[in-house]
Formats: sequence, C-alpha cells, structure tokens
Amino acid sequence: MHLSDDDIVRSISAHSPEGIEALYDRYGGLAHTVALRILSDRGAAEDVVQESFLAVWRRGSTFQAGRGSLRSWICTIVRNRAIDRLRGDRHRTRLDTPIEGETIEPAVSDPWAAVALELSGEEVRKALAELPIEQRQTIELAYYGGYSQSEIASVMEVPLGTVKGRVRIALDKLRASLADRMETPWQTQ
Amino acid sequence: MSHDEVADLLALDAVGVLEPSEREAMERHLATCEPCRATAAQYVDVAAMLPTALELVPPPARLRRNLMAQVYAEANATPALPWWRRLADAIPTGRAFTLVGAAAVVAAIALGIWGAGRGTQQGPVAYMVSGTTATGVLDVNSSGTQGVLTVTGLAPLPATEAYEVWLIPAHGSPKGVTFLSPGVNGGPWTAVMSGNMSLYKSIAATVEPAGGSPAPSNTEVLSGQLTES
Repeated sequence: MHLSDDDIVRSISAHSPEGIEALYDRYGGLAHTVALRILSDRGAAEDVVQESFLAVWRRGSTFQAGRGSLRSWICTIVRNRAIDRLRGDRHRTRLDTPIEGETIEPAVSDPWAAVALELSGEEVRKALAELPIEQRQTIELAYYGGYSQSEIASVMEVPLGTVKGRVRIALDKLRASLADRMETPWQTQ
Repeated sequence: MSHDEVADLLALDAVGVLEPSEREAMERHLATCEPCRATAAQYVDVAAMLPTALELVPPPARLRRNLMAQVYAEANATPALPWWRRLADAIPTGRAFTLVGAAAVVAAIALGIWGAGRGTQQGPVAYMVSGTTATGVLDVNSSGTQGVLTVTGLAPLPATEAYEVWLIPAHGSPKGVTFLSPGVNGGPWTAVMSGNMSLYKSIAATVEPAGGSPAPSNTEVLSGQLTES
C-alpha cells in the first residue's frame, strides 16, 4: 500500500511504529546518503541516521508543512545531526529543526514535494553545475562542510557580506533552474 | 528589518549557517510575515534538493532492522494511548466534527477495544515452520507483538553468511526482521523479533550475506504460515 507523505505524518503523530517504518523506507536512503557525504564514515553515518529517526519516533513529529516538505524536514534533521557530530558538538541544541513538543500539521499541497519526486539526480546536478563555481562552493561548504559564515569567508578569502549574498543568489538561481526543468509555472518573490 | 534582509537570513538558515545572533530577528519577522514564511519554506526545500545531486548510497539492511527493532521494543513498552486520545487522532484533521462522524468513530473505537480485549484473551500462539532439512516453531506472545523462532536441522554457515528471517505481508515486500543465532553445542537456532505480527501472512528464512540483504535471495531454508490452523 502506498502511503502519501500526509499519511506518514499522521501516522508518526499518532506514535505509530509503522509511521517511522514508512518514513525510513521513503527517505532512509536519502538520509544515509546525506550523512555519509558529510561524515565520510559509514559507521558514523549509520549512527546519525538511526539517532535521527529514533529522535523523530521518541519525541513525536513536529513537522510543520508551512516550513517545508517532509523530505526537507528529515534531511535537515539528519544534516544537522551529522554536522554536529562532525564538529564534535553533540550537546548543541539546534533551534532550526525542533523535534520537541507535539506540533503537527498535515502536509498541504506543496509544489516542491512534486519537484523532489520527479526531478532526477542528473537534473539537479545539471542545475548545480550551472551555478558560478564560487556560489556552488559556498553552498557546499555550508551545507555539507559545516562551516560557519565567517569560516567560509576565511576559506574563500571574501568579505562576510559576500558569503551571505552568494548563498541567497545561489538558492534563488537553483530554485528558478529546477522550476524551469519541471516546466511548471513558478511565482518568483 | 526589510523583507530583503530577511531573505538573506532565510537562505543562510536553509543551508545551516545562520548565526544564533541572527536567528532571533529572523524569527521575530517570520512570526508576523506570511510572504517571508513562504519564502523560508521555498529556501528550505531548495536546499533539501541538494542531496538529490549525490549518488544515492543505500544503507545496509541492518540499519533498518536495528532501527525498527528499537522502535518496536519501545512501542511495546509504551502504555496504550487513552481512548480520548485515539478518538482525537481518528478525527480527520481540518474537517467539521459531525454528529454522525463522531458516532462512527466512537463505534469504531468501541469495536477496537472489544477486539483488543478478545485478542488478549487468546493467549500465546505457536506456528510451525519447516524446510528441506529444518523444522521449528514460532511462538508469538498473547498481544501479537513479539515472537521467538526456534529451529533445528540447519547447517552451520561460514562467517560471511547468515540465516536472515523475513516476515511477509499479504501485500507488499518481505521485511527482514532478524537473524537466526546458532545454539550452544549444536542446540536449536533461535531468533527474537518484535512487531505487529498480525500484519504478516507468513515467515521465511534465507541464506544471506552477513549483515543482511534488502530483499530475500532464492535460498529459502524454511517457511511457515502465520495463520492459526
């Protein structure tokens, strides 16, 4: 039986093991890939993935549809835990991925959920390749490297303001590029 | 703080490099600005597309098995939700709670409680399993949440292989749930599993590489039906 992301969210919020099972079956491979890319250590990556899904199970879902898709939510949890582990900062409490409390909202129609399902890795790689190299490197240092803004500025030998600008411009370009590849109307902000 | 300035912070947050000192101002703005909340969701989702560019590295089967063993073990140790909580959870979100709907939900829960009560009175159940050389039994506890498989007649395996146990639903793929462990001094092989046994129609064991496989290979050594005879 195919469960939608909405079904999975409801199942997790009801504290159902089947909800976690479905979440893992859908996004466990992606979560493992992200953790492995950040940590470059199979054992550590497996630990992070298991810890992340157990945290969702134990604390209940706080997924909020208005703050992104289920896919991005679990990616963010795994990414943050992997970065914390990379930094050896296991006690840090992240504010951007709350997993306390019981807040839950059903997923709403989300164009990016469809984008995520339909775009292939090759298409995303192409979109990334179209970015100027300095923007792509900035994004990768931030997302996978766990560097702070000032560390990125230091590594790339640019002012802090340039780092801020590059991140936003890169994400705007990426969003536009991926939307074009989907050939769907897209409202720019 | 302008929308433009906030957008910079939202993008930084999406890739995980927002400084704590910047977060408060961003959250304060988001609390009262719907367009910026929409922008935040878009940046988060674009950032989450980044891993799609990576070559997918499937996790080993043991990761799923370890995770779900832990989840089911904790689920079995967790007290059942009170009836009113299940009532609330059963109501579809965002819909008006009609009298007819309420009656239906209450009736469903009442039947569920009655059914659960019957289930707990049935006691443990034993299912026979067998293969070309192996025979055994799966003992399932009265709540149907844990099983112990005991098997004799299995040949020893090299360290690179293991007997993996699969639970097979009526519809869907087999799920690798555990491995058989050899008994001491040639005693029976055993495996313990947790989960909702009522979801599955049959059980099987196959020879797989140590660490397990994502799907069973064509090396079945025993199988059995999870239906009472």
